[in-house]
Amino acid sequence: MRHLFSAVAAACLAALLAFLLLPVAAVLIRVPPGSAWWGEVALDALRVTLLTSLVANLVFLLLGTPAAYLVATRRFRGRALVVTLLEVPLVLPPAVAGIGLLVAFGRAGILGGELSALGLEIPFTRLAVVLAVVFVAAPLYVRQAVAAFEAVDAEVLAAARTLGAGPFRVFRRVALPMAAGGLAAGWALAFARGIGEFGATIIFAGSLQGVTQTLPLAIYAQFEQDLDTALAIGGLLIAFSLLLLFTAKMVPGWTRLRSTSTSTSRAGTSA
Amino acid sequence: MRAGPAALAALALAAPVAGCGGGEPRGATVLAASSLAGAFTALAPDARMSFAGSDRLAFQVEQGAPADVIATADPAILRRLAGRGLVGPPRVFARNRLVVVVPRANPAGVRTVGDLARPGVAVVVGDPGVPVGAYAREALRRLGIAGPVLANVVSEETDAAAVAAKVALGEADAGIVYRTDARPVAARVRVVPVPARAQPQIAYAAAVVTRPPVRPDGEAFLRRLTGPEGRAVLRRHGFAAP
Repeated sequence: MRHLFSAVAAACLAALLAFLLLPVAAVLIRVPPGSAWWGEVALDALRVTLLTSLVANLVFLLLGTPAAYLVATRRFRGRALVVTLLEVPLVLPPAVAGIGLLVAFGRAGILGGELSALGLEIPFTRLAVVLAVVFVAAPLYVRQAVAAFEAVDAEVLAAARTLGAGPFRVFRRVALPMAAGGLAAGWALAFARGIGEFGATIIFAGSLQGVTQTLPLAIYAQFEQDLDTALAIGGLLIAFSLLLLFTAKMVPGWTRLRSTSTSTSRAGTSA
Repeated sequence: MRAGPAALAALALAAPVAGCGGGEPRGATVLAASSLAGAFTALAPDARMSFAGSDRLAFQVEQGAPADVIATADPAILRRLAGRGLVGPPRVFARNRLVVVVPRANPAGVRTVGDLARPGVAVVVGDPGVPVGAYAREALRRLGIAGPVLANVVSEETDAAAVAAKVALGEADAGIVYRTDARPVAARVRVVPVPARAQPQIAYAAAVVTRPPVRPDGEAFLRRLTGPEGRAVLRRHGFAAP
């Protein structure tokens, strides 16, 4: 009976793996050889994607890291609610995110009047792409960052404070290095999610080559005109996503090795 | 090596048109240009319809989507498919015109097509690879304003309905769409005509998909579409007779 169950579970695993990996492998197999497809559309899309992702990552790292630290280290009323609210975009369909961004920050949106008073028209600009990426990627990063900071031993932080370190110094010199592995893992996952952002971008930012057309949007536009280009961009995105995924899996491992050694030495001194 | 991925792609493409009923097929399965959505649903409420840009539909047929009829906003696409034996002879069943739509409030003060060339007017058009985008460029070239207008383009959408939606939401100052696309959003947009001398020949053609099994529903739908009932419904939705 136990053998049967193991066999069935193994078959389920094999079926799932095959199903999940076949489309990935199929794109890689069908990527046309050579580099003739590497035309202006793909290059422009790569440029737009890298630029907007860079800015978006800076935004969610700078906002998300202190925010996650606060949530992870303080106990306050409504904390669980705050954590849940931060994750709302994760469960939203991207198309809903796009429409939401449009009716919030669009010209005719809730903040449209205020924004145009500031001379800001966001839809169809690179800023719109950045906002769409931040919207979908930031919650992913913050969730991982909260977990990373929660894993930092509170007593170490307390000890640093007893030794006279101010809150900012504790954050920068103690908490940040100790959580670095988890933060990097979260960042890699959020980066990958942002690179692949499609639904919110095409609704909120539209699609214009060289301006707002990111790699996933270029795939969509090229899909029926030039399947080879679409496949080639797909192959590039797969390579990039795999790189980020493996980064996310490996980096905490490296730092855990280091943190394990520090905790052993700490145990040694306290003994 | 090729059969596997192709079969998977066909499966994925089939999903939206096959629906989730799983019971006896009722009526034809029709792939149609998104500008036909209103007219076709009124003509054959029992048919299963999938609306998208014409090139995307052609791609779906090439990939073996289980459809009975394909109707596109560009007969050339169907002639290409017919040449490869994927569809029967295309029949032109309606014509359309281009118009400019602007949001009701008309923030950029667009009164004529020429106003689209003014600097700072946010214009949305179709992607050059889809018919509505190709026609729009042709019209602009005939008017001699393609350069400045295309410089004002803020987004290239993959079908006409998406262009109309961006304008109806007030996010763009103007868009170039088929006259029929302005109807569903009539409450939110104003229509600025495109002069007759700039109008490209916009014909809609439909054909039976020849991929077996060829079911009689496809031919029946085409007969209804090209017959008096189809003509009336199409006219009601703003299309011109072929």
